[in-house]
Amino acid sequence: MTTTIARPAEAPPAAARPKRQREGAAWVFLSPWVLGAIGLTLLPMAVSLYLSFTDYDLFNPPHWVGLRNYTQMFTEDPRYWRSVVTTLTYVVIAVPLQLALALAVALALKSMRRGRAFYRSAFYAPSLLGASMSIALVWRAIFNDGGTVDNLLGTGGWVNKPGWSLLAVALLTVWQFGAPMVIFLAGLQQIPGELYEAAAVDGASRWRQFVSITVPMLSPVLFFNLVLQTIQAFQVFTPAFAISAGKGGPADSTLVYTMYLYDRGFVASHMGYASAMAWVLLVVIGVVTAVLFRTSRAWVFYASEGER
Amino acid sequence: MHRTKGLPAAVALLLCAALAGCGGSASADGKVVLRYTWWGNPDRAERTEKAVALFEKANPGIDIQTSFSGYDAYKQKLATQAAGGDAPDVMQLDYRQIDQYADGGVLLDLGKERATLRTSQIDPGLLATGRVDDVQYAIPQGRGTETVAYDVRTWRESGVPLPEGSWTWTQWAERMRELKKATGKPGATDPGWSEDCFEVWLRGQGKTLYTKDRQLGFTVDDLTSWWTFADGLRREGVVSPAEQTTQLDGTVENTPLGRGKAITDANWDAPASGFKALLDGGVALAPMPTGEDGTPGQYFKPSMFLGASADTKYAAEAAKFIDFMINDPGAAKILGATRGIPVNESVRKAIEPALADFDRTISDYQASLEGKLKDPPQAPPSGDSALQTTFQRDYDQVSYERMSPREAAENYVTEAKAELRS
Repeated sequence: MTTTIARPAEAPPAAARPKRQREGAAWVFLSPWVLGAIGLTLLPMAVSLYLSFTDYDLFNPPHWVGLRNYTQMFTEDPRYWRSVVTTLTYVVIAVPLQLALALAVALALKSMRRGRAFYRSAFYAPSLLGASMSIALVWRAIFNDGGTVDNLLGTGGWVNKPGWSLLAVALLTVWQFGAPMVIFLAGLQQIPGELYEAAAVDGASRWRQFVSITVPMLSPVLFFNLVLQTIQAFQVFTPAFAISAGKGGPADSTLVYTMYLYDRGFVASHMGYASAMAWVLLVVIGVVTAVLFRTSRAWVFYASEGER
Repeated sequence: MHRTKGLPAAVALLLCAALAGCGGSASADGKVVLRYTWWGNPDRAERTEKAVALFEKANPGIDIQTSFSGYDAYKQKLATQAAGGDAPDVMQLDYRQIDQYADGGVLLDLGKERATLRTSQIDPGLLATGRVDDVQYAIPQGRGTETVAYDVRTWRESGVPLPEGSWTWTQWAERMRELKKATGKPGATDPGWSEDCFEVWLRGQGKTLYTKDRQLGFTVDDLTSWWTFADGLRREGVVSPAEQTTQLDGTVENTPLGRGKAITDANWDAPASGFKALLDGGVALAPMPTGEDGTPGQYFKPSMFLGASADTKYAAEAAKFIDFMINDPGAAKILGATRGIPVNESVRKAIEPALADFDRTISDYQASLEGKLKDPPQAPPSGDSALQTTFQRDYDQVSYERMSPREAAENYVTEAKAELRS
């Protein structure tokens, strides 16, 4: 009896040791990620939250101002509200356009027999390239005064017209529809062919099939893409930055939220104010996502629900 | 067992290797590496590279890594680097940056390097512009002033008389109007966007951009009448349209004159050398317009400065390089007037006869203004750096006809007051 009690103290049970060792190894493998998450995400976030309550010009130590950055933002800064309106307009233009195009191309690719792999890559390529600064600069040249679009359509440069410049920015994002397209394509391939066959036998038109089969069956994928693209759209920066040469012009027409944030932080050296703006953005994105999830109950259909 | 024990060590080694890759700025062959950044145009780049090569030849132990960009991009990048404690060892600075950077502890006290960095040949008044609270944080590199640069051939062919001597803003506007009539092109870049032009206009009326106690030196009314003046000319087509003006970013390439879409451009004289490469017809310089009673608004300003990072590991080498750029006759010969007429008086006298092409033009232009201009204003307060951009943006609202000059001026003054208070 004594020996059995003393046993754990002498040596761990045979099974425990490998388990603890496995845990150790897991932590070792995880450590780059854990270090990254702490050092590159959590810590900066904490600092940013602190800075949002301070006046910090990058050079002198931060100085506590309480909620002043937040009150100034909401009550004294017309340019802030202009950036909010610009961003919302952008989201409303870019997200539906991008998803519609992605779905249309995915549908076309699905029914394609030959060369699907080629076209899939061809349409996906802009998503890889599009985020780069160089493509954005090319875009700027195309839509500039005297650029290709000007020469073809004679409309003058889009990027030089306050009414058109945001559309040029949105088009650059819309063109990068590759990622949602690939997801749509995967979703479309999940829909059982029998459903269409049955519908065809019943004499349903193509459109009817699309509305009654494709859309409901695809709705979880559609929802996923909508949430992801909306979150991304709220954070748009590179295309607006490149197209307006970092100024948000002409006449503040492309001054999206993140660009005004950048302007406050790095041009005007008001890091505290910029941090406060970043936290408001985080909260707004959180709220918008929550709202999307709420509405999804009404229109997203999960096949498994039928079995309940 | 052995494998699991060895693993953390391996990871640690890997991490160390990765981190070591980032640190240390001495290159593999034991040379001291100095990072030197500046803003400018390709013309200045070419000459700077040549001067740097000369320095490296004379100092085989020092390697200079250069990088440059346009002024707007430079300003932002440098602010970010400085904030991250990663300011380049040697950096070109503007009058508007010194105050802020010195205050923030970014700049090295160059007075401590007096042994290597000689300043005896620099005009004491000019040298003092690089001083904050009696510490020499930066050394002026050259002297500059604003100018109306123009496309000589087009202007001559238009039949409109060339600018001679001084002109008032009214006479300037009239001449631009004639140019527009004769050539169909706008005479000038819309000056409404430029805080610098506004300052010249204000000073022509005996006013200033900032008061001595770092507040705004003008009223909403002043700015309203300036923007009304510029906006009126724009509506007439006498100055560049909004679509052109909004593309201005401080580089000569993006000015209407540089794009062949206008006949003149108001700019600082040193960067005007960049027009030479863009215009076949040649470039000439005329003085800035004066107030209606002939009061000059433009002034001689230290065109740019060189400073060193307070964190540099190689203060002595950095000082040596700055000394070379400012005092070395060989460097001066290469650099010419690309950063303004040299500040070192003996160097200036030595190279003046040899100044070629556009450097000669700038030197003659400055000589023609000698003794006629008023003293420069004190260095602008640090908030001014952001206000320059705000100025341009608020005028955008006017030139795109989204706001009246008065509304935009009210906006600007409100923002400026907030900026200068904080």
